[in-house]
Amino acid sequence: MTTAETLSGVLCEVFEDDSIVATPEMTADDVDGWDSLSHINVILAVESKFRIKFTPKEILGFKNVGDMMKCIESKTQG
Amino acid sequence: MVFNSASFLYFLPLAFFAFYFARDSRRWMVLLAASVAFYAVLKAPHLLVALAFVSITAYYFGLGIQRAEGEPRKRLLFWTGVAASLLVLVYARYLPFLTMNANLLLKSLGLDAAIPVPHALISVGVSFYVFQAISYLSDVYLEVQEPETHLGYFALYISFFPKLMQGPIERAGDLLPQLHRKYEFSYDAIRSGLLLLGIGLFKKLILADRFAMIADPIYLDVHSYSGLPLIIGTYAYAFQIFFDFSGYTDMALGVAQLFGIKLTNNFNSPYLATSVPDFWRRWHITFSRWILDYIFKPVQTYLRQYRIVGTVIALFATFFVSGLWHGANWHYVAWGVLHGGYMIASVIAAPYLKKLYRSLKLEKTRALRVWQIVATFNLVCLAWIFFRADGMSDALYVVTHLFSGLPGQVAGIFASMSPVAIVKHAYVALFPGLDKFALPTLIVAGCFMLALQAMDRPQNRRPLAEQPVLVRWAAYYALGAFIIALGNFGQSSFIYFKF
Repeated sequence: MTTAETLSGVLCEVFEDDSIVATPEMTADDVDGWDSLSHINVILAVESKFRIKFTPKEILGFKNVGDMMKCIESKTQG
Repeated sequence: MVFNSASFLYFLPLAFFAFYFARDSRRWMVLLAASVAFYAVLKAPHLLVALAFVSITAYYFGLGIQRAEGEPRKRLLFWTGVAASLLVLVYARYLPFLTMNANLLLKSLGLDAAIPVPHALISVGVSFYVFQAISYLSDVYLEVQEPETHLGYFALYISFFPKLMQGPIERAGDLLPQLHRKYEFSYDAIRSGLLLLGIGLFKKLILADRFAMIADPIYLDVHSYSGLPLIIGTYAYAFQIFFDFSGYTDMALGVAQLFGIKLTNNFNSPYLATSVPDFWRRWHITFSRWILDYIFKPVQTYLRQYRIVGTVIALFATFFVSGLWHGANWHYVAWGVLHGGYMIASVIAAPYLKKLYRSLKLEKTRALRVWQIVATFNLVCLAWIFFRADGMSDALYVVTHLFSGLPGQVAGIFASMSPVAIVKHAYVALFPGLDKFALPTLIVAGCFMLALQAMDRPQNRRPLAEQPVLVRWAAYYALGAFIIALGNFGQSSFIYFKF
């Protein structure tokens, strides 16, 4: 399974919506319910699914889902 | 200088023509000189020093962060830059508050040493541009923003005069590219800029200042009132602060547009919010985004393993700082903390409320929406009491006497059977000391503003700009005539100048 596919699954689970497909250009504004309060749930779910730990600087620097995917890949492949 | 002053009437055309006729490569110099002059008119030299210090330190630390090798050094430069900016803010705004509270603490510890309390300095604008500098340093540190390499453009980003005194608090990524862009004259931008300036003046000089006529007499002497006047005074203040601040923002956006710059809007019908979190997405938007991005998110991120407890602590810290930012006084902190409490309650209750509304089949109904708007507005108004009152004891008096004697007051209004007498009694009971023409003027002016805004909505089939020339100019003249005839000139400053 690719990073994007696994991430899509995580997002579907967090936002209880099976239609979400993670793309690099996607931002929180594109997903119903993804606001600043629920953002942390996404981070925790991603960290748990991929068994990684982001640094605060990495999390705060994500501009879109693509940035997050790159960061996940750098940690899982490294 | 303020937008509603006579000197601004001379300053603006002068600045515009100097900008318009300047060579492209020199336009930033004209705007920077205009911004410094705009600030210098306040005759407080320490403010110019503060502006220069914040601009220069943020500029060099921004470059330093990018060039530094290794994360620890980048982090050190980032925190040093932030501390330098914060030092200016503390010096300009918080020294009297800090020393007074330190003295109280020393006294409570039984120590007799009292630190001399310094005089409060004029600090107009400081908290706005210090926040902007911190936002810039954070964005550079997080690598979401390239540092600006030209000191002149950077100083202009910090000091651009339309937003210098009261915001909007612009992010570097939004404003810097616009300052670098080649200016192109656009009749439409000038027209809509001047219209926004007019609408802002109208909101401030006619609407805000008349709502102030209702709220001020009550809040200047709260202990003389109970029940209805306190409720009406609080609602009036809610509208006063909205029209005051959104009027200012309209003027700032309008003035910036004359120079080809689009600043970020700060308001989106905040009193139509359906929850307190929604209110903060619509009220003072650039400030809300700032506290969200640079306080809430970092704290929440650091505490994420504690889940909801981490979020609660982050919300509390964010709104505590928000209160303190608005004023070095405990009643502002109380206002902030109350909003923090609303937000925390909202986060905890949201899933349960969602289930409740679903089970009652109320989801997405108009009735629920109306109820949410009314409830949110009243929660916000309850918090405004702490914001407006002159100190905690006044605020607590208002909160505890909002409903005192209310049934008797209502019965008093309706004691007579004649409608004229009812209106007369209501006017005296609800608006103590208010000029009899103030309320009718407010109603007429309010209706005009609503009509004008309805006409100028961008989604209209034919917005104002596309209406026949007669309709357009009739609207412009009416707006001008209202301002000249009913404007409260030269008597008041903007509420947010204090912050």
